[in-house]
Amino acid sequence: MTVVERLKFYGDRPQPESAHKDAPQQPEPYVVTEPLKKAVNLALFLRRPLLLEGDAGCGKTRLAYSVAYELGLPLYRWDVRSSTRAQDGLYEYDAILRLHDVEVQKIAGAERPSVQTEAEAEDPDEPPAQRDPGNPKHYRTFGPLGKAFRMRDRPAVVLIDEIDKADLDFPNDLLTVLDEPWAFTIRETRETITADEQHKPIVIITSNKEKGNLPAPFLRRCLYRYLDFPNQTDTLKKIVQRHYEIQSEAAPTDELQTAAADKFLTERKNLKWFKPPGTSEFLDWLKALHAFEDDPYSTGQLNADTHLPYRELLFKRQDDWRNSAKAS
Amino acid sequence: MSDFDPQEVVLRLFLRLRSNLKLGVSEYLAARQAAVEADFAADAEALEDTLKLIWCHSLIDYTQFDPAWQSVLAQVQAQRRRRPPFPERRRAASDLRQRQIESVSQQQSPVAMPQMTQREKRSDPEMRALPVQAPTLFMPEENVATLQSYYPISRRSLVYNWRYLRRPVADGPKTVLDIAATVQQSTRQGFYLAPVYVRKLRNAARLLLLIDQNGSMTPFHHFTRDLVETASKESSLDPENVEAYYFQNVPAGSVFRDPYLTMPVLLAEALATCDESTSVLVLSDAGAARGYRMRDRVRGTIRFLQQLKRYTTLLAWLNPMPESRWEGSSAEVIAQSVPMFQMDNEGLSNAIDVVRGQPLKHGNAGGA
Repeated sequence: MTVVERLKFYGDRPQPESAHKDAPQQPEPYVVTEPLKKAVNLALFLRRPLLLEGDAGCGKTRLAYSVAYELGLPLYRWDVRSSTRAQDGLYEYDAILRLHDVEVQKIAGAERPSVQTEAEAEDPDEPPAQRDPGNPKHYRTFGPLGKAFRMRDRPAVVLIDEIDKADLDFPNDLLTVLDEPWAFTIRETRETITADEQHKPIVIITSNKEKGNLPAPFLRRCLYRYLDFPNQTDTLKKIVQRHYEIQSEAAPTDELQTAAADKFLTERKNLKWFKPPGTSEFLDWLKALHAFEDDPYSTGQLNADTHLPYRELLFKRQDDWRNSAKAS
Repeated sequence: MSDFDPQEVVLRLFLRLRSNLKLGVSEYLAARQAAVEADFAADAEALEDTLKLIWCHSLIDYTQFDPAWQSVLAQVQAQRRRRPPFPERRRAASDLRQRQIESVSQQQSPVAMPQMTQREKRSDPEMRALPVQAPTLFMPEENVATLQSYYPISRRSLVYNWRYLRRPVADGPKTVLDIAATVQQSTRQGFYLAPVYVRKLRNAARLLLLIDQNGSMTPFHHFTRDLVETASKESSLDPENVEAYYFQNVPAGSVFRDPYLTMPVLLAEALATCDESTSVLVLSDAGAARGYRMRDRVRGTIRFLQQLKRYTTLLAWLNPMPESRWEGSSAEVIAQSVPMFQMDNEGLSNAIDVVRGQPLKHGNAGGA
């Protein structure tokens, strides 16, 4: 048995040379806090799904990118919608296409296309250009989770985004797959796809708690971390610096950063928000302060302002907008 | 804290939190596995965070975890302090205790304070190191649940249960493509002609909710509101097929269209839409909330139920009070003539089984 190197996430390492082709290409400007780092490492170690909850715009989704980038692992993102079923993440089978191919073949004559063997196919996950209707395997495509189950040399990161949007049964159906023996069956081709014992997928799940709680048996399997909004000026500044560092643009002056972060945090704390702004809104706002006009917004002016400049970027609801006008 | 033993803490804490946090054995094993690693259990603080990650699944769970963690940690530390340095010493101590018991039984004198006299007699320093087992360890874990608010059924399980109330009828437009049938047909014919469509399924189940409002039901208004909301908006039922009427205590003569009891409708009129396949759920405490046993109420209710049974037999009663409180009140009598269930997850799913015409064949559900 080969000893597999244990994966460890640090949050600030560059991408390894041998990164998978499906790994994120761009470095992710993400400042990972100590508790969050630990949660990721524990999820890597126990291979249990990591459930992240928190306000919108706290970086729940970006974490998966950051993990996949640093470890050089492929990232398969699965956006959940209200009509999503658990099977969609595993595979899809195109029976209509197969029927179509049979008809076309009949019309085009008896000549069968040169049959590709499994080994010849460039990518076993993708259907080949020359499909053979006699081979049902040519008509199945794997979903994000299915791809992750087929990884043999390294695990894959699967991001299941906004799981709370899905139908009631969805988490429970998912649970049967994300547990021993980590396998699922494709009914149409009679294949059983089993995840490699050493390379089980790393599952990161985000939820907004939009539609109530997730079922208890599902929660029991998951590691849970609530993401707080970065409530310190220093943390916010660190995030800003990381962003500008990676985009290699001129960062706003330290003064402006501090003033903006202070102002933003006080507003965020003092006002009664219906939809509090997240980190991404802050970054946009700072960018506007810094570069929208020809000259950056003056720090003194910002501190003296009773009304925030560029309010459009922060207040996304009419009642919030009205409150902000009243409070200041 | 040099010899901090994570496994012991994990086990104790697991036993304590197991039922409240709904943990299973695999969660214990995962925690054990993590506790072996230095990364995740270097000291008490790291272990606390690790266990929170694995065992807590919402911010509310933390409020249960924190006190349990404090007390388990205190127990483990106290026990370690009490442990004598050498095993021989321990045996000697137990011998001493044996001797002490003998001496006490020998004395057997009715002294007012025998322990005081013993302590005065013995000046042996070893006596003071006598190990005394803390009796707190095997105390039954205190039940935190009683301190929480009474919420026997969550909105989620309401939504979930409604989905069992279905009577699928394929009478919609023919718009659903049946892929399997299409493939099968063209295989049988030898050529492809046209896709096979089937009719859209529609849920034809009809639900009539009769809800007791105000008075003793006031504390349960949020349940009744959730019940009506989930049934009409978040279930697979057709909103047109869900009707809710309200009454106070006993529906006699007329019921109301709104929860504020301002828009009266004749009961006969409300029931006119009812046919033999309409499911009727009555939601009332039937006098159990205040423990009354009033003949008028029972008689009125029975008369109403008889009237209802002329329309449909798919009838069940949900009582927001737990079954233990029905005894001696009108609810106990009424439960004799209608399947009555307490309104928790199991009760609701039993009630829905009854109103969809597939009552439980076993068990002691309901009084009918």
